[in-house]
Amino acid sequence: MALPLLLASSGELLSERAGVLNLSVEGMMLTGAFAGAVGADASGSAAVGVLTAVVAGLLFAALQALLSITLRADQIVTGITANALALGATTYGARLVFGDGAGAKTLPGLDPLAVPLLHEIPVLGPALFEQTLLGYLAFALALALALAFSRRRTAGLAVDAVGEDALSADRSGLPVTAIRYGTVLLTGVTSALAGAHLALSEVHAFSDNITGGIGYLAVVAVIAGRWRAWPTLLACLVFGLAQSLQFAAPALGLHLSAPLLVALPYVFALLAVSGLVGRSRAPSGLTVPFVRAS
Amino acid sequence: MTAALEVSGLAKSYGGTVALDGVDLVVEAGTVHCVLGENGAGKSTLCHAVAGSLTPDAGTLRLYGQPYAPRRPADALAAGVAMVHQHFSLVSTLTVGENLRLLRLPGLAARIARVRETYGLELEPDAVVGQLPVGVRQRVEIVKALLRDPRLLVLDEPTGVLGPAETDALLETCRRIADAGHAVVLVTHKLGEAVRAGDAATVLRGGRVAGDGTTKDLSARRLVPLMIGRAAGDLDATLAGAVGLEDPEAVGPDAPGPDGLDDPGVLGLDDPAAVGLDDPAVVGPDPVVPGEVVPAAGPVRADDARTPQGAALRLREVTVRRADGAYALEDATLDVAFGEIVGVAGVEGNGQSELTAVLGGSLTPERGRVELDGRELTRALPAARTRAGLGVVPEDRHHEGCVPALSVAENLHLGRLREFRRFGVFLDRAALGRATEAALAEHDVRASGPFAPMASLSGGNQQKVVLARELALDPLKCLVAAQPTRGLDIGAVAAVHARIRAAAGRGAGVLVVSAELDELLTLCDRVVVAYRGRLLGPVDPRAADARERIGALMVGVEGERGAASGVGVGAGA
Amino acid sequence: MSAPVTTTQPPSPPPPDPHPPRPAALDPTRLRLALRAAPRHPLAVAGLAALFALGVGMLLVLAAGAELATAWQALDEGMFGSPYAIGSSLNSAAVLALIAAGFTVAHRAGLVNVGGEGQLCAGGTAAAAVGLALPAGVPAALGVPLVLVAGFLAGAAWAGIAAWLRVRRGTSEVITTLLLNFIGIGLVSVAVHEEALLRQPVTSSETLPQSAPLPTGAQLPLIGGPESPATAVVPIAVLAVVVTGIVLRHTALGLRLRAVGHSPAASARLGLPVGRLEGGGLAVAGGLAGVAGAALVATAPYVLAEHFSSGYGFAGLVVGLLARGSLTAVAAASLLFGFLTSGGINLQLAAQVPASTVQIVQSVLVLSIAAAMLFTTRRPGSRR
Repeated sequence: MALPLLLASSGELLSERAGVLNLSVEGMMLTGAFAGAVGADASGSAAVGVLTAVVAGLLFAALQALLSITLRADQIVTGITANALALGATTYGARLVFGDGAGAKTLPGLDPLAVPLLHEIPVLGPALFEQTLLGYLAFALALALALAFSRRRTAGLAVDAVGEDALSADRSGLPVTAIRYGTVLLTGVTSALAGAHLALSEVHAFSDNITGGIGYLAVVAVIAGRWRAWPTLLACLVFGLAQSLQFAAPALGLHLSAPLLVALPYVFALLAVSGLVGRSRAPSGLTVPFVRAS
Repeated sequence: MTAALEVSGLAKSYGGTVALDGVDLVVEAGTVHCVLGENGAGKSTLCHAVAGSLTPDAGTLRLYGQPYAPRRPADALAAGVAMVHQHFSLVSTLTVGENLRLLRLPGLAARIARVRETYGLELEPDAVVGQLPVGVRQRVEIVKALLRDPRLLVLDEPTGVLGPAETDALLETCRRIADAGHAVVLVTHKLGEAVRAGDAATVLRGGRVAGDGTTKDLSARRLVPLMIGRAAGDLDATLAGAVGLEDPEAVGPDAPGPDGLDDPGVLGLDDPAAVGLDDPAVVGPDPVVPGEVVPAAGPVRADDARTPQGAALRLREVTVRRADGAYALEDATLDVAFGEIVGVAGVEGNGQSELTAVLGGSLTPERGRVELDGRELTRALPAARTRAGLGVVPEDRHHEGCVPALSVAENLHLGRLREFRRFGVFLDRAALGRATEAALAEHDVRASGPFAPMASLSGGNQQKVVLARELALDPLKCLVAAQPTRGLDIGAVAAVHARIRAAAGRGAGVLVVSAELDELLTLCDRVVVAYRGRLLGPVDPRAADARERIGALMVGVEGERGAASGVGVGAGA
Repeated sequence: MSAPVTTTQPPSPPPPDPHPPRPAALDPTRLRLALRAAPRHPLAVAGLAALFALGVGMLLVLAAGAELATAWQALDEGMFGSPYAIGSSLNSAAVLALIAAGFTVAHRAGLVNVGGEGQLCAGGTAAAAVGLALPAGVPAALGVPLVLVAGFLAGAAWAGIAAWLRVRRGTSEVITTLLLNFIGIGLVSVAVHEEALLRQPVTSSETLPQSAPLPTGAQLPLIGGPESPATAVVPIAVLAVVVTGIVLRHTALGLRLRAVGHSPAASARLGLPVGRLEGGGLAVAGGLAGVAGAALVATAPYVLAEHFSSGYGFAGLVVGLLARGSLTAVAAASLLFGFLTSGGINLQLAAQVPASTVQIVQSVLVLSIAAAMLFTTRRPGSRR
C-alpha cells in the first residue's frame, strides 16, 4: 500500500508546490485503475493496461487542469466533484465491461520479481524487494521526481516560485500556466500508475472504489510532509506501515483498534500542519488561480 | 538617433475605465525618457503594456524598428525589455540568489559580478527577500532587471522607497545605461527627478499624451500645467511639493540637468557642519514647546480646546523586533502636544510602518510605553484606542484603511454599528444612509451615494472617507496619519492637508508619517526622522536649512548624535 | 467521498465520455470571445449547465439500454411519485441545506469550511451518545432537543479545533477541516466498533458494528403523515436557512462577518473582534453540520453506523460553494440535489439504469457550473 501512496503523492507534491491543490488524486487513481483493468482485459497484456491507464490519467488530469487553471474554478469543488465523477463513471463502466461480478474477474496482471539476496532481508526484504516491474518503476519514478525537482535545481525553484507568487514568477519570465499544467498532468500520470499498480500488481482485478481513499491519503501525506520531498516520502512509508499494522497487529497479539489506525495518519498530518510538530507552511499561492492582468 | 521604442495609438480600458486612450511615444536609444503624470494618468498601464504584463486593446509597438507585440512578460524579456516593477517582481519566500536563478540566465555569477562592478550594486545572495528592507529589495529588483543586459529598461516609480542618496545613485545608473547606448523609460510623478535625470519627457494626463519634448525645452513651468491641467502659479507650496517641484521658479532650462547630479545643494552632504544639529533651540536636552519656537507660522495656537499641560501622544522607548531579530523600532521616544503637527520623515523601511502599527494596535512592542493624554494604551485593543480618542489613518488604504468591497456607509460606521439598530437586532439602513450622506457632504466626498461600494471611489475620495471616519471620533485627542496623501491627485492632497490642519486647529495632536519630505515641510510644526528604527531630530521645518538637515538624518549622517539627543525630543512634556 | 448515492448497478453498455476534455492549451482570450455571446446571468448559466448535465444523463440512460420515457417516469416517480419519495427527498435536502447554510456563515467570515463531513460525524456521534444515555421513557419534547443540541455542540467543537488553529496559529482552515473529516469518520468507526463506546451489545459474530437504536423520545418526530418519512429536520432546516439569511443580511453581526471576510486587517483596525468573528463563524458552520449529523442518527433506523454520513458532508459543501453566499441558492440547490438523489435510487429499481448515473449527472452539473463561474462573475482584473 505504501507504493501507490508514494507514487501518487510524488506527483501531488509537485502540483501543490506549484499552487494547485489536486484533491482529485483519488479520481485519477480510480480512473487509472479502471482504464488499466480494461486495457489489460481487452488486450490480454498487462503492459498495454499500464499504457491505457497512463492515457486515461492524462485525460482526467487535463480536465482537472482546464477547470482549475484555465477556467479558475474552485479547486476544492472541482477536486471533490471530479472524484465523485470518477467513482460514478468507473462504477457504471465496470458493470458494462466486467459484468456484475466485477471483483471476481481475474485480469492479466504483473508478477513479482524478487531481487536476489535482498528480498531475504527479514521484514524489509519482502516489502521492498518483491515488487512487480511496475512497482520498481514506480519507486524509481518517485525518486527521480524528488531529485529532479529538488529546490537546489532550477526546475524545482521554478515550481516553488509559481506556487508562492505566480505574478512575480510570470514577471520573471516563467511560463506559469504551462508549469501548473505540467505538474497537474504529471500528477495524472503518477496517480494513474498508482491505480494501475493496485489493479494489476496487487489484486489482479478491478472492484468498485478499489482505491478506497488512498488518493486522499496521498494529499494528506504531502501535508504531513510539509510540502517537501523527503518528509513526504517518509510520511508515505509511515502511513503504509500503519495500514499494514492493522493486519499484522492481531498476529502479534496486540489489541489495536483498526479504525483508530486508519485515522492515525490524518491525526499526524493535522499535528504536522498546525505546527505542533515542527514548522510548516503551505505554499502561499495554493488554490489561488493566476490572473495576469491586474 | 535610432528609436528604441515607438508606441503608437496605444489604448487600454478596464471594464468602463479608460486607462490609455491613444498614446503615442518615441524613446530614442541612448536616452533616459521620463514619463510623467499624476496617479491614474495611465503611466503604469503603459509600462505593463511595454513589458508584456497586459495586452493592449489597440495600438502598436516597435522595438528598435522591429514590430513588437509581447503577449506575456517572457516575450518582452526575450526581446531585451526588462522592467523594474513598482511593487517588485520578487518571490518573497525565496532568497535573493534563488530569485536571480529563476531567470535561468547562462553565466549568472559573471553577470552579477559585472553589474556589481559597473553600477556598484551589492547583494546579499543568501538573504530571504521577504526579510529585507524595502530599499534593499528595490536594489535586488534593479539588479534582476540589469542582469539581462536589457536594450530597454522600464522603471515604474522606482524612487518612492528610496532616500535622496539612493535616488541619486539610481538616476545615475539610468544615465549609465543610456550612455551605453540602451534606452531607459523612467516613470515618475516627481517633476524634479525628470528634469534632473531625463533627456526627454512625455506627460500623460487621463490616458492621453498632454505634451512632450526634451527636458531642455520643457521647463518645469510648462510641465506642471501639462500634468495637472492648470497653471503652475495656482499651486501653493504644498502642491508644488506633491509633484516634487522644490521651487517652481528655480527649476527651468538652466537648472541642474543630468550633469547636476552631484550638485551639493540637493543633499547638502558636502559640509556636515552645515547640517546644524547643534542648534540648541531645536535639538537639545531641553523640552521644546513648539509654540515658542515658531510662534508666527504655527497653526491656531490660542484655541481653547488645547490643553498645553500634557502631551496628546507620548511614546517612551518603544522597541519592536522583526522576525529575524533585527530592530524595527529601537527606543523610539516622541511627544506630540495638543494642537501640534509632528512629522516623521525617513526613507521607507526605517521603522515607520512598525510605528504606525504600534500606534494602531496591530503590533505589540517588545518594550516601551504608549500614552494618549496620560492614559497608557501600549497593549490596548484597537477598539479601546478608538474609544480613548486616538484616530489612525493606516498607510495602506486598501489593506487596512478600508474594506473596498463594502459600501461607503458601512466603511464609515463599521466600528459603531450599535448606534444604528432597529428593534434591538436589525441594522437600520435608512439611518445609516442619512448619517453617511451628512458625512459625505461635510467632507466633500464624491460618491454615487451612501451605499456605493468603496472600491468605486477614486483614491482621493476613499482617503477622504477614511479621514472622515477617524476625525469623527469624539473626543479626538490625537490623529495618526500614515502616508495620508500617497497616490492622491493634487486636489485631493490639498483637501487632506486642510483636514489635517483643521484637526490640529481644533486642538488634537497630529502625527504625520510620510515619505514625501515636501509634504512634511509644509504641514508640520516639527519633523523627526526615522532612521534604522530610531527617531532622530527634531528639525524645525521653517529653518532655512531644514531640508538639508533632514536629508542628512535620513541617511544617518550624525545619526549617533541625533539618537543621543533623541531622548530629549519632546514638546510640552 | 461522493454525493449521497447508493451503489448497486446492473450491467449496462459503455458510457460515453461525460465530459470530453478540451484542448489543454486553449487560449482563454479566444474562449472569452467565443462565450461573449453566451448568457452571463448566474441563473441562465445554471440553466445551461443543467441542460448539458441532462443531456449527459440521457445518453447514459440510452447507453444502459433503457427507454428515455421509462427512465424519466422512474425518475419522476422516485422524486414526486409517492409521499415516501417526497418525504425522503425532503429529508435529504434538509440535511444538505443545514450544512450549506453553515458553510455560508463561515464563508461570510472569509473561511472555507471543507469539514462538513467530519463535523457531521462528530455531531452524529455525540447525538448517539446522548440519545443512548437517555432513559427509555424520555419525552420527545426533552429528548429531541437534547440530541440536537448535543449534535450542534459537538459539531461546533469539532470545527472549533480548526478555528483555534486558524486564529491562534494561522493554520489554513481548508487543510485542517479537510483532515478533520477523515478523523471524524474514524471517530465514528471507533465508536461503533468498540463495545466500551457506542457499539450495541455483541451477542453473536453476526452483530453489526453499529450502535443500539435510540429510544423513542430521542427520535425525530415524523411530520408528513403515516406514509411519509419526512421528519422534523425539514422545518429545522427551513428555520436555519431563514434565520441565517436574516442575520447575514439585516443585522450588524452579518455586516461585521462580511467585513472580516473581506478584510481582516481593516476590520481589526476598526475595532472588530476578528478572531472571535472568524472562530464563531466556523463554529456555527460546524454546529449546523453537527445538527445535520444528529438528525441523521435520529432518523430511521435510529442508529449510528459506519458510513451513516453517506457523503452528505461533501455534498453539502458542494451545495454551499455553488450557492456562493446566497441562501436562496442554498435552498434551491439542496432541493435539487435531495430530489435527484431519491430519484436516482428509483431509476435503478424501476428502469434498471445504474444509480451511479445520477452521481455522474450531478458531478457533471457541478463541474459545468464551476467551470462557467468565470464568465458570470466580474473578472478580478476588470477594476482598477
